[in-house]
Amino acid sequence: MTKIPLFALAALVAATAAQAQPDAAKMAAVREKAQVCFGCHGPDGNSQSADYPILAGQSWRYIYIELQDFKAGRRTDPQMTPMVANLSRDDMIDLGNFFAAQKQLPIKFAADPAKVDAGRKTSDAVLCPMCHLGGFVGQNEIPRVAGQYPQYIKKQLEDFKARRRTNDAGNMTSVAGTLSDGDIENLSQYIANLY
Amino acid sequence: MSTHAQRLAGAAAAVALAFGYAASAAAQEISGSATTTGSPMSANLVPITQPMLDAAGGDAKNWIHPNGSYDQTRYYPGAQINATNVGKLKPAFVFQTAVLESMETAPIVVNGVMFLTTSFNHVYAIDATTGVEYWHYKQKLGPIVTVCCGNNNRGVAVAEGKLYMGTIDAKLVALDAKTGKFLWETQIADPEKGYSETMAPAVVDGKVIIGTNGGEYGIRGFVKAFDANDGKLLWTFYTIPETGHEGVWAVNDATGRDMHRDIAAEKAAFAKDASFFQKLGGGVWMTPAIDKKTRTVFFVVGNPSPDLYGAIRPGDNLYTDSMVAIDLDKGTYKWHSQYIAHDVWDLDAVSAPILTQAKDKSGKMVDVVIHGGKTGHIYVHERNTGTLIRFSQAMVPQENMWVLPTKDGARMLPGANGGVEWSPMAINPKLRMAYAANLHQPMTYHVEEVAYPGGKLWLGGAFKTIPGEEQSGRLVAVNLDTGKVGWSVKTPQPLIGGTLATAGNLVFNGEANGWFKAFDASNGKELWKYNCGAGVNAPAVSYMVGGKQYVAVAAGGNNQIDAKRGNSVFVFAMP
Repeated sequence: MTKIPLFALAALVAATAAQAQPDAAKMAAVREKAQVCFGCHGPDGNSQSADYPILAGQSWRYIYIELQDFKAGRRTDPQMTPMVANLSRDDMIDLGNFFAAQKQLPIKFAADPAKVDAGRKTSDAVLCPMCHLGGFVGQNEIPRVAGQYPQYIKKQLEDFKARRRTNDAGNMTSVAGTLSDGDIENLSQYIANLY
Repeated sequence: MSTHAQRLAGAAAAVALAFGYAASAAAQEISGSATTTGSPMSANLVPITQPMLDAAGGDAKNWIHPNGSYDQTRYYPGAQINATNVGKLKPAFVFQTAVLESMETAPIVVNGVMFLTTSFNHVYAIDATTGVEYWHYKQKLGPIVTVCCGNNNRGVAVAEGKLYMGTIDAKLVALDAKTGKFLWETQIADPEKGYSETMAPAVVDGKVIIGTNGGEYGIRGFVKAFDANDGKLLWTFYTIPETGHEGVWAVNDATGRDMHRDIAAEKAAFAKDASFFQKLGGGVWMTPAIDKKTRTVFFVVGNPSPDLYGAIRPGDNLYTDSMVAIDLDKGTYKWHSQYIAHDVWDLDAVSAPILTQAKDKSGKMVDVVIHGGKTGHIYVHERNTGTLIRFSQAMVPQENMWVLPTKDGARMLPGANGGVEWSPMAINPKLRMAYAANLHQPMTYHVEEVAYPGGKLWLGGAFKTIPGEEQSGRLVAVNLDTGKVGWSVKTPQPLIGGTLATAGNLVFNGEANGWFKAFDASNGKELWKYNCGAGVNAPAVSYMVGGKQYVAVAAGGNNQIDAKRGNSVFVFAMP
């Protein structure tokens, strides 16, 4: 096991050009469609609870792909799985674009400076920015994680490591496999503190 | 397919790469396809006819195929710039594009008009002697683009007043060469399933021939022919046959080395389920060679999907990692020759095939088709049957072949980029040499058992560069008739881009550190160099305008080896 996993995660589905640009009327209609999501994910996708990820400002393609994966059973969650059952492909694209277009708000969170500093070092060492980009702003199918709830980030890393979440074809499992519990805690603090 | 960028030397480089992406992404938010006109098009531009395309190998005036001719020898027949005077070569002009991202384009030159492409499918027409811009076309890309290794493009094909380009959202687009105006487009395949286009197509007898990327996404590879007038599909050859892809359960690779397959386990798995052919990969993403005499298309096929996890795809995985010959008019199978059966290292076949002649085993000169492999060997096949006549000495260090990937990683050389990556080779038929740009990147190969993730990157493991181990490149000249290495030059960074040979007894090659160099083709002596300020990771071309020879090469850097990005085409001539 190398301490610096220079894996070829390559997900370089690099920044695609031209994301769909829905007009105002369409956005209003899509907002109706998205109402049901607000219950857990908060108004306009700014979640009020660490149990639910913030969707506002997320990469549209990532949201779209996750919705597809929930529907196809590649990712499961007792709450999300039934929610996506009746979504069409167009619904998923619309929802992805809607949440991508919303402004992400800062969470209430007091970071531990020592953990943030250690997390930044771990992030550089395991090459997180190679896919998530500097500042964890995400790109295309790679999610934005900056400013996400630390508890949520931690849970995802733990789920990847334990193979409870596998819909990424093992790329994140490869990364998380070399992370200690302390690394995961530090990364969660560092990334949540990026806003 | 290729290989994934990310075997980088360090985190700092990665961060730089990441910011580079963010910036270029923002620059590419284009609302629609658009053509802007600079200056009026040169009156010298003429429609390229089929006879011109057929005779291109002997035409010192134009460069009208990405690799010089249907034979793809990248051997320029002019000798005005030569081994005795190349030391005086100077830049004539630099053309800057609006896109700061990897450049892999092979410029096309017609009567002094140059057509070049950039990442994100921009096309420019410029004066090939001054750099004055005639027009600039930006393709409107769809919302979904799936590419493993950068938003690259390797150039256009040209015929009868039209240009043809494959797009990263898997379309074939036709433009008016004179005005840059959009004529038509055809969706080749579904980008959401991992299909994309980066190769320069081939155009011949009214057909546009193009393959596909996507070997990292569980696609089913193909080569297709479209009507050059309207984009209508004429035929499809699937690189993964519906039946028979299990092959002959080969124990050894083409060079006779044991690949350590568990054939019994594979056969048992195959008996249970052979339906995976739909996701078995096999991209074709470099321009095919075409033999008009025998009406044959020659191409090499990329890796099986997923790259490293083989248990899920038992059998030889035909025609992955193979040279394949098909009928030009019908797209039907003629022969194949597989280099690595059941590849679990991504050491696939990528670099464009070359048609030439070489001595067979009895010493008789015969028609051959050759390929420079990621394995570090150049393979020489008898052209009509595909029989492997010889493979060259290894051009780069080989070690521990073929150790199987493990969870924690198994060290093997070459690394997954090669050897020879997509970089096209050149030959000098008089000197009997082929010139290959190689990489040396020590890697460990890791396997991860993962199911098809639905159009997302699907490596089935990881390739990791080894911290502390030096990476380098090697420009190698190999004798076609013996397979022996004639000369080689080590470079400080891995080589990606491709070579150009000329009748002036020269070989041109670019490096990731910005150096563009000319070598004596017979002995590898460095004769000239110029630093372009960004990675020279594209194949050079040469042409003549007004009795003066020019050499052109793109310096845009490279995503895969994270060579410094640029946005320029440099054009050189004698002062």
